[in-house]
Amino acid sequence: MGRARAAAGGRRAERGLRLCAVALGGALGTLARYAVSRALAGDGLGFPWPTFVVNVAGSLLLGLSITVLVERWPPTRFLRALVAVGFCGGFTTFSTMVVEAAQRGQHGRAGLAVLYLAVSLIAGLLAAAAGIGLARGRLLPRGERRSIPDPDDFGRVGGHTAPDPTIPRSGRAAADRPGTEQAAP
Amino acid sequence: MIIGGLLIAGALGAALRAGVDMVIQRRMGSDFPLGILVVNLSGSLVLGVLVGSAAHNGLSPFWLTIAGTGLLGAYTTFSTFTFDVVSLMENGEWGASAMNTLLSLGAGLGAAAAGLALGSLM
Repeated sequence: MGRARAAAGGRRAERGLRLCAVALGGALGTLARYAVSRALAGDGLGFPWPTFVVNVAGSLLLGLSITVLVERWPPTRFLRALVAVGFCGGFTTFSTMVVEAAQRGQHGRAGLAVLYLAVSLIAGLLAAAAGIGLARGRLLPRGERRSIPDPDDFGRVGGHTAPDPTIPRSGRAAADRPGTEQAAP
Repeated sequence: MIIGGLLIAGALGAALRAGVDMVIQRRMGSDFPLGILVVNLSGSLVLGVLVGSAAHNGLSPFWLTIAGTGLLGAYTTFSTFTFDVVSLMENGEWGASAMNTLLSLGAGLGAAAAGLALGSLM
């Protein structure tokens, strides 16, 4: 009983430390987003380039970092919280994007608002997919695939995404590195 | 001054997102990313109110930057949204992927517009 309580306390402490890692990453991501918004200061109600740039770049970075951390690196306790949930989550923003779109809509620029959301969505999805693909196929040697079921982690980012290891990911990647394919079931 | 404020607000916003997401997602029996959806919609509504009220009176540019760019900018996230949509597609959950996309953008835009209108009344 005392041991169970100690274990629960340990989990709480670890969760607290993860939350600190998220906060630290979030602070740095926010500062980076602010720097980009200052550097690319927009012109009134034109196309909101700063938000677009951070959202697409952050989507690429999140897809890349999550895939590397979940599928390639040895299990880490805080890197996912720091880099993915914290930094990438804090660097990109959803609320600013939709408020910018709504403002343009209110000022008779509904076409621009729709274009902005559509382009952000398409570019963001492509960037996320490119980040994932980059981590899997191009950047790193193919290692053991694994998933980390971790109910205590913050956010599901990466938790439910590890694909079935019995399914070959892509013929190309497997063909590039003979001998490293997963054994057929 | 503004840098320090942004660091604190960004840290709080990101931690709040992680907490809300964890609490909601634990109660969900599925992969559908309801936690981030709730975070993004609530953050969009509140940012709309802040921006709407700042345009008329109230909030100074300094506090709008701290609360809007810092707190709500970090609380809401675009990258987790796009990642979730892509991983749902990867897992063959096309319906959930499409629903998450439509709900996020449609309701997010609605929440922002409602917030702007609400804020301008304040």
